[in-house]
Amino acid sequence: TGAHLGHTSLNIDSLRDLARKELVNVLDSDHGVEKIYHLQPGPLETDCKNLIYICRPQANYMKYIAEHIHTHTKDPHAGPYTYSLFFVPRRTALCEKVLEDEGVFGEITKGEYHLDLIPMEDDVLSLEWDSTFKELYLDQDTTSIYYAAKALMRLQGIYGLFPRILGKGDYSKALCDMMLRMRREMAVDDLDASQTLQLSQNIDSLIIIDRSVDMVTPLCTQLTYEGLIDEIFHIKNSFVEVDASLANPASTNTGAGGSAAAASTAAPGKKKKVPLNGGDKLFGELRDLNFAVVGGLLNKVAKRINADYEERHNAKTVPQIRQFIVKMGGLAAEHQSLRLHTALAEEIMNYTMTDDFNRILEVQQNVVAGIATNKEPEYIEEMINKQVPIVQVLRLLCLYSLVNNGLKPKQFEFFKKEILEAYGFEHIQTLDNLRRLGMLTKQVTTKNTYSLVRRSLSLIVDEVNEHAPNDISYVYSGYAPLSVRLVQCVVQRGKDGARPGPGAGSGGKGSGVAGGNGWKGFEDVLRMLPGRTFDETQRVDDGQPRSSKRANGQPKISLVFFLGGCTFTEISATRFLASQEGGQRDFVICTTQILNGNTLVDSIVQKVPDLHASG
Amino acid sequence: LSLIESFQQKDLTERTKKLKNSLRLYQEDKEHLFETKAIEESLKLLQIQAQLEKDFNQPFTGLSLSSTVYKLITINQGSRATKVRNDFQMPDKRFWWIKLRALVEIRDWDGVATL
Repeated sequence: TGAHLGHTSLNIDSLRDLARKELVNVLDSDHGVEKIYHLQPGPLETDCKNLIYICRPQANYMKYIAEHIHTHTKDPHAGPYTYSLFFVPRRTALCEKVLEDEGVFGEITKGEYHLDLIPMEDDVLSLEWDSTFKELYLDQDTTSIYYAAKALMRLQGIYGLFPRILGKGDYSKALCDMMLRMRREMAVDDLDASQTLQLSQNIDSLIIIDRSVDMVTPLCTQLTYEGLIDEIFHIKNSFVEVDASLANPASTNTGAGGSAAAASTAAPGKKKKVPLNGGDKLFGELRDLNFAVVGGLLNKVAKRINADYEERHNAKTVPQIRQFIVKMGGLAAEHQSLRLHTALAEEIMNYTMTDDFNRILEVQQNVVAGIATNKEPEYIEEMINKQVPIVQVLRLLCLYSLVNNGLKPKQFEFFKKEILEAYGFEHIQTLDNLRRLGMLTKQVTTKNTYSLVRRSLSLIVDEVNEHAPNDISYVYSGYAPLSVRLVQCVVQRGKDGARPGPGAGSGGKGSGVAGGNGWKGFEDVLRMLPGRTFDETQRVDDGQPRSSKRANGQPKISLVFFLGGCTFTEISATRFLASQEGGQRDFVICTTQILNGNTLVDSIVQKVPDLHASG
Repeated sequence: LSLIESFQQKDLTERTKKLKNSLRLYQEDKEHLFETKAIEESLKLLQIQAQLEKDFNQPFTGLSLSSTVYKLITINQGSRATKVRNDFQMPDKRFWWIKLRALVEIRDWDGVATL
């Protein structure tokens, strides 16, 4: 399976270049940056006179900047400063209003830095807009759809028009409509530019999946290696913070790897940021695997590296020794990454061996599999009684509610009361948020859509082979993420429209999205899921026949956009789909942010300031 | 919602006032029976906590009901804990869990043995 991980024929570098060039343009207005500060409240002490701010358009950041300017103007000794502010990715009226109110609007030169989709990997692009889920579904603030549309338009500018746009969910539809409208507007504003846009050569479709279509998946505990790292340590912007002692190998090593992790010898207990990406070859191999097999693989790699080291005894002649020394550098780097991942895997192991973890997992799997017992609510009650963090409780409770189409009225009242009394009455608001999101509701009908969907898309697969997976369900040890199953519906056309599932569609035959059937054959299932389903075709109007001039031999690419965020596990599952396509199709994943159940629930939990905080 | 506002008040009296406000809002609406009751309870809890702060000279306000009971046991005020429990009709199961954890925390093994 390894062949497909992270490598797509889409040249992401051109996107990287664009981002880099623009950053230079932004900074060029000032020639040479002397110092870089992180934006934070309080006065800024610097001896630089020309200040450039680069930040997200958020009101509190504006306040910080205004504060800086105020302290500068009050200081009689300070000479004149110049201020420039660049919004990433776009300016907003709200921010400008804040600056006006603070009376500093005129002092600042403003601009935009269009860094929207950030390439996290060769096949993963993210807007890294962490609050999207809450903004979109709770506050119904659709700004992020606008950002997403803008970003996709830019992609189209680089790679050509996406011939076909499919999707599921109301917000997905909104995103698609906005893109089509932007294209029409472009035609009005600048006819020439719009006509030079060709259909994309290798991207043949864009598939938009709305988070509201599948809330179940992110609530489940991720079981892939990368997913578990995220669950336990939380990966932020593809960096993970771990204990420094974990990241730092005993400094006996030559350090020839030159990797950042070896840079300093930090005190124990100190946190250290370690980058996690495809540049680390070993991590590339491990990230998408079910954690159950990671240990064995690490062991194998360790043996191999050891054997490689042993080769030095065979090096007798001078050229042989020289050859070995050349190899040494690579070996040391590999060794280093092996040490890091062994340490990480050990930590994860400690965690996954605990009773609590296994009981939660068991409850989760019973719940998604629809095995009804009354053990599950009982366990949740026990969790509340033990006062485990509220996020964990809500995660499981929401999962239970979603799968069962709501809680029975009596149960619903009971859990609400329990949570308020155990975690504080401010969570009236949290519960209300969850109810509005439809994640924690009172049962109104006994009709259970989830179980129908589960059956018709075979989301539960009983026999999973984690070592040699044959279906995406391996990522959750038996549960196939609904979101990725939907992608599979579009892309893989089994014979006679057979249901996707283990073994189906591995032939890759007739897997043409552009001319394919799209959602056909799955209408029934789709109707059961919330939100609209759509399938749009984009054409070039110059009368050119829809070409089949696609460079043959090159795999076709589907862009998969997760609106409202996706998990690492869903990324892994999507990569697995590509590996099933036998080189016929690649996937590039776009998302508004990467999330997991904890960050998702946490973003909607009501926070209260401590009554004793200020004495 | 004035409710969020009330929880943002750091001051106890201010918070009580705001809570009463939102209580009135909820009472006007028959849909929110649950919320009305919950806010009434939270007011009651705040009152008790204020009293406890006076009696023991330790911070109590802002804690949840469970944490309040927990804290009372850890400072050896088992009888007050039981009283709070009765005031709010806390389910037995939860109370015993809290008691067990609290007793373990203060290493009161005799207390654990007599549970």
